[in-house]
Amino acid sequence: MNGEDYKDRPDIINSIINGLERYNPEAVPALEEYLGQQCEERFVDCNANRTLLKLYQLNPDRIKDEVITNTLVKTITQFPGTQFTLALHLINPTAAVQGELGEAVQKLRSLNSLLEGCEYARFWATLDSDDLYADLVADISGFEDLVRQRIALLTAQACREVSLANMEAWLGLDGEAATKKFITETSRWTIDESRKVAIVPKNPENEAKKTEIREDVSVDMFSRVIKRAWEVSA
Amino acid sequence: MSAYQNPPARALGDDSDVEEEVLVNEYREQVQYEDGMGDLEQVSSLTMAQQTDDIQSRLAAAAQPLDFQAPLEVKFQSYDSYCSLFHFILNSDGPVDLEPPSYYWAWDAIDEFIYQFNSFSSYRMRIARQNNNEEEIHLLKDNPNTWGCYSVLNVLYSLIQRSQISEQLGAMRRNEDPAAVAGDYGSKTLYKMLGYFSIIGLLRVHCLLGDFSLALKTLDDIELNKKAMFARVMAAHFTTYYYVGFSYMMMHRYADAIRMFSHILVYVSRTKNFQKSAQYDSITKKNEQMYALIAICVAFHPTRLDDTIHTALREKYGDQLLKLQRGGPESLPVFEELFRQACPKFISPVPPDFDNPESNIDPMDHHLNIFMDEVKTNMWSPTVKSYLRLYTTMDLKKLAGFLDVKPEELRSWLLVNKQRTKQLRWSDRSLLDGDLVNVSDIDYAMQGDLIHISEAKVGRKLVDWYLRNLARTYN
Repeated sequence: MNGEDYKDRPDIINSIINGLERYNPEAVPALEEYLGQQCEERFVDCNANRTLLKLYQLNPDRIKDEVITNTLVKTITQFPGTQFTLALHLINPTAAVQGELGEAVQKLRSLNSLLEGCEYARFWATLDSDDLYADLVADISGFEDLVRQRIALLTAQACREVSLANMEAWLGLDGEAATKKFITETSRWTIDESRKVAIVPKNPENEAKKTEIREDVSVDMFSRVIKRAWEVSA
Repeated sequence: MSAYQNPPARALGDDSDVEEEVLVNEYREQVQYEDGMGDLEQVSSLTMAQQTDDIQSRLAAAAQPLDFQAPLEVKFQSYDSYCSLFHFILNSDGPVDLEPPSYYWAWDAIDEFIYQFNSFSSYRMRIARQNNNEEEIHLLKDNPNTWGCYSVLNVLYSLIQRSQISEQLGAMRRNEDPAAVAGDYGSKTLYKMLGYFSIIGLLRVHCLLGDFSLALKTLDDIELNKKAMFARVMAAHFTTYYYVGFSYMMMHRYADAIRMFSHILVYVSRTKNFQKSAQYDSITKKNEQMYALIAICVAFHPTRLDDTIHTALREKYGDQLLKLQRGGPESLPVFEELFRQACPKFISPVPPDFDNPESNIDPMDHHLNIFMDEVKTNMWSPTVKSYLRLYTTMDLKKLAGFLDVKPEELRSWLLVNKQRTKQLRWSDRSLLDGDLVNVSDIDYAMQGDLIHISEAKVGRKLVDWYLRNLARTYN
């Protein structure tokens, strides 16, 4: 899964996640601090963050709303997949829909659904539509960039050519110049000016080659039958 | 995807029913053996009963189902007796010298312990929401820690740790002697069995709390494909596969979920004839539930099923399956209906808010809602796929015209469907791991508005069919 375990996870966090310490409310501050580090340094460790949500689930008195929303925003950057929903399952059902936290969670849920549903243009429009969204993602350094990079990556896995107008809408960038800059510098695709299309380099995903699946037959699969034949004749 | 990955030989072995057959034969032998041994066992347990009358009756009581309509006081008492029994087992001066009353006992005790925890939590939630039973509300409010989540987890983890069961299973996996690492407690049958079934108990508790990845992680030490200890206790075998399959489904790993459900359903259908009737009745309901879950998973991930399962599925859920597979908004209520029917009774780990009855949301609605997000995201995939199958190239605007949707909308559907063709699939490591494989028989790429489509041709798979029919002629 995307962003499940961070390769340079500190030892102290490792020992919390993998031992009984994961149930100790005293482990909350360490995990919160680790989340803060993830928000600043643009990496993500969803497994560790779920451990934190789990502690909140068991000890509601420890809950800090902004920590919950920050974990959710971090998982949003890992689309497509189940990181967001796995985190959401751990949030108290009532808290997830009521009060201020409820409102925030529902807003993030709709953002995530837009990304999961590949409605990228609507995602950017929604993100811009309400100041609350800006507040929610404020703590996560480079949120928009991270999302944009994933959109480009996923596009490359499905497309060989995309019109520039289309890319501009999907990347949510302001104007053609910025879009072109992102496409050539960040994604390293080329641009065909005459047709106004971005050309994605070939990769195994966007080739869509014909394949044939054949059955592999090995002697082992018949071992029982052969054995049985001996038993009968004996 | 470079190529539709050839399933490794091992995966093929899993799909065929060789493994189920081995299990079936072993189970049959065991059932017959036990029938013969019944008298003998009774005699020995009688002599023991005379010696340690009190503790044996407590052990027996721990495995006895509590009456469904038992009043609240009885539920409280039951909790207290579990606590004192486990306290005695865990915190006496050294391991207690007891033999479990039967092979099933440890499973029954853990099963009942969790069942009562589950139903108590559900009951407490219901009382809070109904808000018309002052007396019980008062009682529940005053005792927030009775059947508390922390104490239940504590019991399970303590039993696992005391018995060194993880270490023992690890040694077994490396073909070493488990007795060498079992320690004073773990070498005794009582502790070993309690520890083992506590692992499966944890799987269940994590799943009930909505922590599906932790649920699967819990089983790291247990190998499902080998001759596992739980296979000797039918209910344990069944429960394990239900919860593992369900957790996979919630992690959107439908191929793995189907594999789990298929395995156990095939196994059940083959052992039906020599099951003791009482035991079989108790699993009939879960059996139905797993067919409903298979229907959901197959709708997400169309695949060939085992013949027995395919037939039964069409019999039980034929109409619903058709609607699910057609997709679109009409399929949504069917997904919901089947999910509600087949999901575990989810619980909240903390007491409800008795002062604001209407604010308490049923955890099942919470988990269902989240699951439905993914259903909605994917509901157009069947339509898209059915059209793509007909062409090798297609203009996006033209297809949008056929479907009567905006080109932009169709572009999103195509991307969604393309992204879902890759799925994490278990290979041979821990349940959570897997390889990212292409699970669809159709692949495509977009060049501007032009869609290039290629189909993966699946050659006929004959080995399994051949072996199955050969086995049939032998029987």
